[in-house]
Amino acid sequence: MLSYNSLRIVCPFRALLHPNWLMTNRQTVNTTVTCSAHFVSTSFPKKDTWQRKCNLKSTGNESKLIYSTYTASSTRNYCTGKFKLNCWNCKQPLYETPAFFCMACKAVQPPEEGTSFFNIMDCDYKFSLDTQKLQKRYLHLQRSLHPDNFSQKSVKEQEYSESYSALVNKAYQTLLKPLSRGLYMLELKGMRIEEGTDSGADPEFLIELMEINEALDEAKTPEEASKIGQHTKGKLAVLTEEIDAALLKGQLQSAKALLAQMKYFANIEEKVKEKLSEFM
Amino acid sequence: MAGTVAKKCLSPLALLTRRLSAPEFITQCCYHKKVVDHYENPRNVGTLDKNSKNVGTGLVGAPACGDVMKLQIEVDDHGKIVDARFKTFGCGSAIASSSLATEWVKGKSVDEALLIKNTDIAKELCLPPVKLHCSMLAEDAIKAALADYRLKQKDDQQEAARASI
Repeated sequence: MLSYNSLRIVCPFRALLHPNWLMTNRQTVNTTVTCSAHFVSTSFPKKDTWQRKCNLKSTGNESKLIYSTYTASSTRNYCTGKFKLNCWNCKQPLYETPAFFCMACKAVQPPEEGTSFFNIMDCDYKFSLDTQKLQKRYLHLQRSLHPDNFSQKSVKEQEYSESYSALVNKAYQTLLKPLSRGLYMLELKGMRIEEGTDSGADPEFLIELMEINEALDEAKTPEEASKIGQHTKGKLAVLTEEIDAALLKGQLQSAKALLAQMKYFANIEEKVKEKLSEFM
Repeated sequence: MAGTVAKKCLSPLALLTRRLSAPEFITQCCYHKKVVDHYENPRNVGTLDKNSKNVGTGLVGAPACGDVMKLQIEVDDHGKIVDARFKTFGCGSAIASSSLATEWVKGKSVDEALLIKNTDIAKELCLPPVKLHCSMLAEDAIKAALADYRLKQKDDQQEAARASI
C-alpha cells in the first residue's frame, strides 16, 4: 500500500540534522514546526514498518540539498483481525472484532466470515466456560441485534441484523451444552467424529449401553426411569470433567473418544425425558 | 409415534415438498413409508441366547449419532441361518435397517449373508443421503454377528481337537 503524504513542515535547520525529531510517531504527523525547508515524504508501509524516504530540500539562503533517508517504525492501529474492515455505510474503519455496529454511524454490520463462536460470545476459549456469562452476553447481543429493532431501517440493515442474530443464536446454542461445545472445539482444530460404525469401540462399553437402554425401555414406573436418569447424569458429569482435562492438555484423540461416549449418554438422557413424559 | 419420529428427522426430502402444513405430508416427506412400516411393525425384535454355540452376536455403535445396534443370528448344523433377532436404540432409519437385515439373513448361508451390502438396504428402504450411515451400521452388525459365530465355531473345533487327543 502506497500512501503519499505530502506535508509542508517548517522546522529549524538544526532539526534537519536530527531526522528523528521529525515524524516518528503517527500522532505527530499533523504537528507543524517552523522550518526553513520543504519536506516531502513518501511512505512505503512494509508490514508495521514505515520506510520513509525524506527528501529534504532546503529553501531560502541554504542552497544545499539535504537528503536524508531513515527508517521509522510507527505502530499502526489495527485490531486482532488480519486486515481492517470498513463500515459499509460511512466507510470508517471498524476497530472491533467482531464488529456488530459501526462506532461512527451506528449502522449494523454484516457478520465477518470465520469468526469463532467464542469470539462472538466474548467467552474464553476453553471447555469449562461460564454459562451464566454466556447467557448474559446472548441476551445483551440479541437486545440490540434482533431484527425486530430494524423494522424501520433499510433492507440492507434488516438483512444484516437477521443474519447476525441467527449467527448469535447458533453460537449460543452450540456453546451452551457441553457436548456441542466440545464437538465445536474439535471442529476448530480440524477434527470431527466420523459417521459410521466405531470399529475401535470397547465391547464392554457397548454392552453397558445396551443394558441401560434395555432397562429404560422396560421401566414400568417413573421412579425406575428417574433412577436411570440420575445414573446417566452422573456419567455425563464425570465425562465433562475428563473432556475438560483432555482438551486443556491438547489430547484431541482422547477428547474425541470421550465426546463419542458423551453422545451415547446424551441420547439416553433424552430418552429418559421422553419416558418420563409418557408416564404423565 | 410416527409424529415424534418425524420431528427428529433431518431429511433433505423435506426441502422438496410443496405442502408442509398437513401432518401426513410431514411424515411422508421425512421418512419413507417402508421405514415407517418397519418402525411401527418391526420384525424379529428380541434376543437369542448369546451363550449358545450356534448363536453369533454382533454389537455395534455409531458415535456420531449415538445409535446402538445388536443383531443376533442362529445358525443350524448345515451353516444356514435359521433365526435372527435385533435390538436397536436409535433413529427410525437405524431401526428399519436392522429390522430389514434380520429379514434378509434368514434362510441364507453364512457366506451368502456376508454379501449383503448397505447400499442394498438403503435402496430397499429409500434412505435419504443423510441416513445412509444407518444402513452401514446394519451391514456392520451382520458382519459382526457372523464373525462372532465363526469365532465360536473355531473355538469349538479347537476344543474338540484337544479333547480327542
